[in-house]
Amino acid sequence: MDPRDIPLVGFVLEFGAQDHVLDAMLLAGPLVVLAMVLGGRSPVTAAIVGLYVLSFAGYVVYNGVVAR
Amino acid sequence: MRQRLQPLARDLGRILMALSGIVFASVVVSLAWGELFAVPALVVSGLVPLGLGRLLSARYGDADEVGKLHGMMIAASGWFLVAVFGTLPFVLVAWTVAVDPFPAPFAAPAALDTPTLAAFRDPLNGFFESMSGFTGTGLTMTDDEGALPHTIQWWRTIIEWVGGVGVIVLTTAILARPGSGSLTLYESEARSEKIHPSVVSTVRTIWWIFILFTFVAIGILWLAGMPVWDAINHAMTGLSTGGFSVTDASIGEYNDPIIDFAMIPVMVLGSIAFPIHYLMLRGDLKNLYTDPQTRWLWGYFSVGSIALIGLLWLDGTFEAGRVAVTNGVVLTGSTASLFQTVRYGLFQFVSAASCTGFGTIGVGDWSAPAQLTMSGAMVLGAAAGSTVGGIKLIRLITLVKGTAFRIRGVFYPETAVRYLKLDDRKLGETEVSRELEEAAIIAFLWFVFLGVGLAVLLLTVDGSFTLENAVFEITSAQGNVGLSTGITGPAMPTPAKVMFLFNMWIGRLEIIPVLVLLRGLLDTFNFYR
Repeated sequence: MDPRDIPLVGFVLEFGAQDHVLDAMLLAGPLVVLAMVLGGRSPVTAAIVGLYVLSFAGYVVYNGVVAR
Repeated sequence: MRQRLQPLARDLGRILMALSGIVFASVVVSLAWGELFAVPALVVSGLVPLGLGRLLSARYGDADEVGKLHGMMIAASGWFLVAVFGTLPFVLVAWTVAVDPFPAPFAAPAALDTPTLAAFRDPLNGFFESMSGFTGTGLTMTDDEGALPHTIQWWRTIIEWVGGVGVIVLTTAILARPGSGSLTLYESEARSEKIHPSVVSTVRTIWWIFILFTFVAIGILWLAGMPVWDAINHAMTGLSTGGFSVTDASIGEYNDPIIDFAMIPVMVLGSIAFPIHYLMLRGDLKNLYTDPQTRWLWGYFSVGSIALIGLLWLDGTFEAGRVAVTNGVVLTGSTASLFQTVRYGLFQFVSAASCTGFGTIGVGDWSAPAQLTMSGAMVLGAAAGSTVGGIKLIRLITLVKGTAFRIRGVFYPETAVRYLKLDDRKLGETEVSRELEEAAIIAFLWFVFLGVGLAVLLLTVDGSFTLENAVFEITSAQGNVGLSTGITGPAMPTPAKVMFLFNMWIGRLEIIPVLVLLRGLLDTFNFYR
């Protein structure tokens, strides 16, 4: 099955920055928020959210500075 | 219906259908918070625009495609109509809580029947809040946002989030028809930059970027220490540079420097044009300093913040004896005073210049130069193509460079062929004239309507407010900022509320589409003859 056939995933893959890492981050966003809501403020949740934010910032910088 | 109004009716119908989708989606929030009493109000609030929208779009589905005139009329009337129908959740939830007509489990808790919510029983207050939200202004008719039901807190947030990107951008993204007048509509909503050749792809990419940034912003604010509900709402209203809060004292409620500093990059992200964000995400980071408008934005934010901090320091605004910065770090004496001045000056300037309107401290008692510095920032705004209000930096660049170009031209022979480099474009004399004319007209109209609004404000509000308070308030309304010196509130005189409604509306659309709508309606119904 082609992931582009799934309505929301198809939108994300088609109209983004043509970068699967960023597409994955967008799709993971709701799960990260869900972790905050359900998990409360715990070390595990903080690690998940911290990883999400840092990996976004790190990837954008990596993509712009190192990968080019 | 008159022929020329048929495309207008069809596209307004589509916009109303998109609005109803947002209302119905918000039912999930009511259910999640157990606010079942709000569900009937939301359902009715969604059914009304859905019914009218379907009727209009079906009845006039085969109307002609839109031209420039129609595009502007649709943009202006569309924004007005979504604000009108966006009023329904405020009014209906407020009346539901007051009357409490439903049995358990739909009964409204008595604790929610507060004067804050009761203000929305007056439809004018609801309309003010709705217009303020959709235009991303953030001025509010509530006294204590924290006392509102979560459903209303969410409704305020979602309308700012949608309004930040644009009602027509949303409608185009969802209900666009290939080969239609989408580009005309897109340009009529104070946007011109395209990411892709297709305007439909452009608006969908804008939403892709906006949603991704929203998740990142939620994460940043939560990590800084905000509760999750607050982080979700403030990330959405901060990124859309709207400024509605879920707390009584906005960001100042937390009195936490870490949260203050965490909010600044969120507001800055909202101030940068979406095409630049797209290029940045594609790995082209150099646009953050090579793009003229973004380069000016850094300079403008830096110089303005330093100026405001300097004024506050000279005024001795903050003479804090002791400040707890973060766990275990405590500043005292002049260090504490300097820290507070930088903290509040930086935040408030970025909040004003980005047209967000979050507050960390009351500014009504700041000195006149400090308030007027912020007023200037609110008039100017930030980058075109972002979510901000104001005249926009690109117009300042055009006015500055265009004026210099004209003056230099006097020293050249008339036969000389000259070009002006503007925003990566090489413009000839005619193009420079056209760009300069457009920027000058918008700047002129901006100040005319600021003047009219100021006159109404001075004539109607009580005399305890100073002239700089009134200038601050009206620039905040028309620049779609939302900072307040305390003039705006449910007790505000009705003429001032109506004037502010108009200022917020024209400010979001950069005035001309509203004037075209009014002229078009007068012409259509032969009011001139």
